[in-house]
Amino acid sequence: MIGAIAGREIRSGLVTPLIWVLLGAGQVVLAWIYLKVVEDFSGLSADERVGSLTQELALNLFGFAAVIALLAAPLLAMRSLSAELREGSFDLLGSAPVRLGEVVIGKFLGLILLITPLCLLPAANLLMLSGIADLDPGHLAAATLGLWLAAVMFCAIGLYGSSLSSQPGASVLIGFGLLLLLSIVGRADSIGDMSLSLFDWLSWNEHLLWFLLGAVRMSDLGYFVLFTLFFLALTHRRLINRRLQ
Amino acid sequence: MEFGKPARSGYLPLLMDTLVRVTDLSRRFGSQQALSDVNLCLDRGEVLGLLGPNGAGKTTCLRILSGMLAPSRGRIEIQGIDLARKPLQAKRHLGYLPERPPLHPELRVDEYLTFCARIHRLPSRRIPESVAEAKRRCGLENSGQRLIAKLSKGFRQRLGIAQAILHRPKLLILDEPTEGLDPFQMRELRALIRSLAEECGVILSSHLLGEVQAVCDRAVIMHQGRVRFDARLQPSSQCSQWRIRLTPTSDAGVLVTLPHVLSSEAIGGDRYLVELDELGTAADLSRGIVMAGLGLLELLPEHSDLERVFFDLIGVEDRT
Repeated sequence: MIGAIAGREIRSGLVTPLIWVLLGAGQVVLAWIYLKVVEDFSGLSADERVGSLTQELALNLFGFAAVIALLAAPLLAMRSLSAELREGSFDLLGSAPVRLGEVVIGKFLGLILLITPLCLLPAANLLMLSGIADLDPGHLAAATLGLWLAAVMFCAIGLYGSSLSSQPGASVLIGFGLLLLLSIVGRADSIGDMSLSLFDWLSWNEHLLWFLLGAVRMSDLGYFVLFTLFFLALTHRRLINRRLQ
Repeated sequence: MEFGKPARSGYLPLLMDTLVRVTDLSRRFGSQQALSDVNLCLDRGEVLGLLGPNGAGKTTCLRILSGMLAPSRGRIEIQGIDLARKPLQAKRHLGYLPERPPLHPELRVDEYLTFCARIHRLPSRRIPESVAEAKRRCGLENSGQRLIAKLSKGFRQRLGIAQAILHRPKLLILDEPTEGLDPFQMRELRALIRSLAEECGVILSSHLLGEVQAVCDRAVIMHQGRVRFDARLQPSSQCSQWRIRLTPTSDAGVLVTLPHVLSSEAIGGDRYLVELDELGTAADLSRGIVMAGLGLLELLPEHSDLERVFFDLIGVEDRT
């Protein structure tokens, strides 16, 4: 059942232009950043270099890919629930012998599979340097994993935003709003006491940074898994509440 | 069309052939009471027509029956299974066509129906056969590879019906199924509903009284969220009341002396409501009027019983 719902999401996603536009635009931007990083790095002498090429690429290329994923997830998610609620096609699932939990997981898996190619774009760009530069594959694997986990969490948040409104435009704005909040909340500690770390912990970019530095920590994995499950649970609750409203 | 015995109420004991039993169903949207104490019963092989003006609660009732909305109060049993307690089991017996067919425009007809078969938990080996059968019954045999976005409104409606009957449900719920269909398609749909009723029960809502009369065994009229009328429909042999309009100079008193005429009532504007006996026909009446030297301008069958009841119930008696 989950497979059927996820398969339909992927099929619908692939035959509409949105995912291709996102992939195309993402690749253009990433290629530009990639070129800049390699050019800047090769223009510096060994003494002037702060970090390795792998580190420079991971922080810049994967960091910016996370921003693209942040923009893409709510756009991809708006089709999943919000547009279906508006067009009435959600009635198909609502009247079928399907649990709402299966609907949420199926749609979420579909979204993950659609956004995964976007997460693999930076690594795909770096394949061009294989055999030319001495890159650290473990470091790049950690950065790719971090980027993917962040994108998965963005999808969960986008899906929750999509469940809140039957207006796709509004659902995208809600998703962006939530993601923006979780992006800037880490800056709250710079306003007051530096020892305040709760806001740092809530911010996704703080956790992604460790992956981009090549460190896979359980606390960061836990953060992404916890927040993903939290927003999926909220989406499930929201769909149950729709039947009661 | 005339009415037979009042239909069995929902609170009576569940019989073996009862497909759906709705007891004291109520639904509130904020301060608005959309449904109040609705009791319904549907037997296997029966077609029930839900009639009512806009906002009467028909769609709300059907959405609750299909499990899309939770009732504020009341109980629904499908094949004896409580929809609230065991929704998955109950929904296996359910086919639902909402007001707007729940389609995915980016898919092709075959892809869409295959997806529908999967979410209705049909075994994989039965899916191609079920899809082909549903397409055949709805006249979509040659549309399997067509993109849903490119289908006309009538074909979309057919596809909506195809997804509802795909898994051979015991209960078929159709919300305004003739919406967007041309007269030929409407006639085909009536025949389809009648053939489906041989193996399942059907609940359909419609604004069209004639539609309900043509296809339903029972009519339920809803108004302001309540069931105001629930009775079986039985085909009558012919219309016994006729509306006529005579020239202003005609002597209407002669009407009651004509053959087969039982009574005549002036309803204003040189119009009269004439009741004939069982043997009287429109031909007898028109012949009698002409032979009596009255100027006949119009001769129309009087509204059916269902139409009269409908207008009486919602408080709009059409006398013009």
